[in-house]
Amino acid sequence: MTDAIVTENLSKQFGQFEALKDLNLTIEPGVCVGYLGPNGAGKTTTIKILTSLIRPTGGKALLNGIDVVRNPKEALASVGAVVETPQLYSQLTPLEILSYLGQLRGLDRDVIRERSAAVLDEVKMSDLAHKRTGDFSTGMKQRVAIAAALLHDPSILIFDEPTIGLDPRGMIEVRELIMQLKERDFTIFMSSHLLYEVQEVCDKVAIVDKGTLLVYDTVANLSHAGEGGVSLTAVEPVTDEQCASVQALPNVRSVKRLATSELLITIEGGLREQSDLLDQVKGIGIRVAFYRPVRSAIEDVYLRLVPEEGS
Amino acid sequence: MPPSDLRQMAVVTKYELLKYLRSRRLLIIVALLAIILILGLVLPPTIGSGYDPDPTTFTSTMLGEIGILIVLLATFFGADAIVSEFESKTGLVLFPNAVKRHVLVLGKFIASAMISVGAVALYYAVTVIAVVAIDGSIAPNTSLSFLYALAYAFGILAIAYLFSSIFRSSVYSIVLTFFTFFLILPIIDGLGASIAHFKPWFTLTFASGIVLDILQQPYPVDVVRTVERTFRNSTRTLTVAQYYPSVPQALVVIFVYFIVGLVLALYITKRREM
Repeated sequence: MTDAIVTENLSKQFGQFEALKDLNLTIEPGVCVGYLGPNGAGKTTTIKILTSLIRPTGGKALLNGIDVVRNPKEALASVGAVVETPQLYSQLTPLEILSYLGQLRGLDRDVIRERSAAVLDEVKMSDLAHKRTGDFSTGMKQRVAIAAALLHDPSILIFDEPTIGLDPRGMIEVRELIMQLKERDFTIFMSSHLLYEVQEVCDKVAIVDKGTLLVYDTVANLSHAGEGGVSLTAVEPVTDEQCASVQALPNVRSVKRLATSELLITIEGGLREQSDLLDQVKGIGIRVAFYRPVRSAIEDVYLRLVPEEGS
Repeated sequence: MPPSDLRQMAVVTKYELLKYLRSRRLLIIVALLAIILILGLVLPPTIGSGYDPDPTTFTSTMLGEIGILIVLLATFFGADAIVSEFESKTGLVLFPNAVKRHVLVLGKFIASAMISVGAVALYYAVTVIAVVAIDGSIAPNTSLSFLYALAYAFGILAIAYLFSSIFRSSVYSIVLTFFTFFLILPIIDGLGASIAHFKPWFTLTFASGIVLDILQQPYPVDVVRTVERTFRNSTRTLTVAQYYPSVPQALVVIFVYFIVGLVLALYITKRREM
């Protein structure tokens, strides 16, 4: 089976600045990949090359095995993309914009009508389908852009910071939408700087910094490679014996007492290990009032791999 | 699979036209055209001079502002056609589709050209109706004048597209388009004739002279005269030149501007990064 997205020694130089350095990444079909990195790491540059918005200075970018630089029309045929915060034609309505893009993609009128209604419903924009987009907020435009990306039922979806510019409700809705899309076997390549978002939504994570790929692995593997932290507040003061028992539990790296009834526990692993720990802590006899993660394992891996700016 | 380039071009043209039809710019152009025509028809009887009984002169007078109209059409419907996709980020939705950049540019150009043809045709139609109604016949070569006006409109539009593909800001592209054809090239034409005494055959605005010159019977020829002027007891010899573009040469010049402008616009847009 052809890999969905492949970059081979992909490089991009802007004057003296090397935005991408020999990026090699292979994304198999049906996987949701989170593309993480600090600002200026090369995330948007990669996505812009993949969507034919810019040209690489070296290497190759393949979508479903087709070179996006040599054959952009064929390569982008089964790709839907939302790059940065796109703007819409203010004179057109969402339905007209979808009809425009649908006709460019060769969809029949009936299919366009049917799909437009479905995707606008999916992004909760059905009520505004006939209103011109001139007065739309950033979030509304982002939703219409997502609808446009889904219109032709592509096999690959590329999202560049899909929740940026959205209000908290919009962020949650878009995240839920991506999780639903994941269930439908799309290949999703999504850049983000929100680590928890990627951990929640994606199967795999690629971390890039200064144009170089630092790690590409499953969320599960990275969760085990990193240390997560939880803050625990008990109803009664935690005794020294209970504290020692917590320290002895599997996956627990360290226990720090923050107050008489409050502990900061560092663990190896991800959500599953956090859940197990809660059960085990209760088993020790600690009555838990509050229990919340303070840092995820992915965050730990990220912070270890991506040095602080200027260091 | 995506449709053919030609089919995609037609789709782009259709939606560009829809955008233009809903824009304020079209209203402005229609209003300006109405003002030009109303002034041409209302002013002569109002000031007591009446309409010219010669259809050729009347037609020339009525079409006197065709150059301005064509410059405004290129400015409004060509100068920001490409740059706006980059500047206002609408290209982020349009470009990642399975469509070649040159298809998008050509589709847009056809839409701009159609709007220009429509406005120019309306100007000529009203003029012809008015001249026939008032003088009883139309000026010979009015149809040729119309065709030359369209050729000029396409040439200027291609240069507007070239500016639009080069600049990062719509304002620069719009201002440069307007001032190039409204001020800079006309100044070169004027200086060429009056001071340097050369025929500026190579400028698009000079070549556009055929639009109105073709209405004259016979077609005018260049005139270079020397005039002696006495001022404070000294006599100076002045050369006065009046140049007219030759039709074949002007058509070639317009065609060259059109081809060069459009090909460069296509090439630059294809290479341009978002």
